[in-house]
Amino acid sequence: MKNNIKVERAINGFTQEDLANKVSVSRQTINAMEANKYIPSTVLSMKIAKIFNKRVEDLFFLEDSD
Amino acid sequence: MKSKLLLPNRFKIIGWSLFIPATIAGIIFTINEFQIKWLNTKIFAIIQSDFLGKTKFFKIIEANITVTLIGIMFIIGAMLVGFSKEKREDEYIAELRLSSLLWAVWVNYALLLLSFIFVYGIDFLTVMMYNMFTVLLIFIVRFNYILYKNSKKAPDEK
Repeated sequence: MKNNIKVERAINGFTQEDLANKVSVSRQTINAMEANKYIPSTVLSMKIAKIFNKRVEDLFFLEDSD
Repeated sequence: MKSKLLLPNRFKIIGWSLFIPATIAGIIFTINEFQIKWLNTKIFAIIQSDFLGKTKFFKIIEANITVTLIGIMFIIGAMLVGFSKEKREDEYIAELRLSSLLWAVWVNYALLLLSFIFVYGIDFLTVMMYNMFTVLLIFIVRFNYILYKNSKKAPDEK
């Protein structure tokens, strides 16, 4: 699964730390998601989508390998 | 996120303050097998066998408890370090912790298997002694290494 978090973060002017605080996770988690090393739980995906005022589908995309 | 079976974060610092001295003492012990004299004491034992093969049960015995203390400090320290929450415990950290634990068990038993095949005689007792502690040790090293690597990578850009 891929995601747009980094782009959305840049658009909204958040640092990784800011976003991490808003969804109450560690900065490592945001870092790992942006590097596509970690696939977040449904709860966390929806929390992040809510912060950016987006639908989950606009933030996260399935890949062919999924 | 709720995480079961983890201690609060404040136990981590207590853990490190037991774990580090115990590890150092353990390393020194393996080099010169020191015993601290004033740790000779009477102590309650469930089982004790002497060199003649006589076994005592549920007796107060005379023993030096240097090794006992190092072992207790190491185990309690390592458990506290390994199984206390991070400052901000979340789902990714939980996954890291579990995968590090799995990795540590793999590595530990691979090493034990090699020792089983290639180490014989009294030296195997030494292997077994180390093996009591290596799972926790490998786990803690692995988990903290991955956490550290993850916090360094990709310096934050806007």
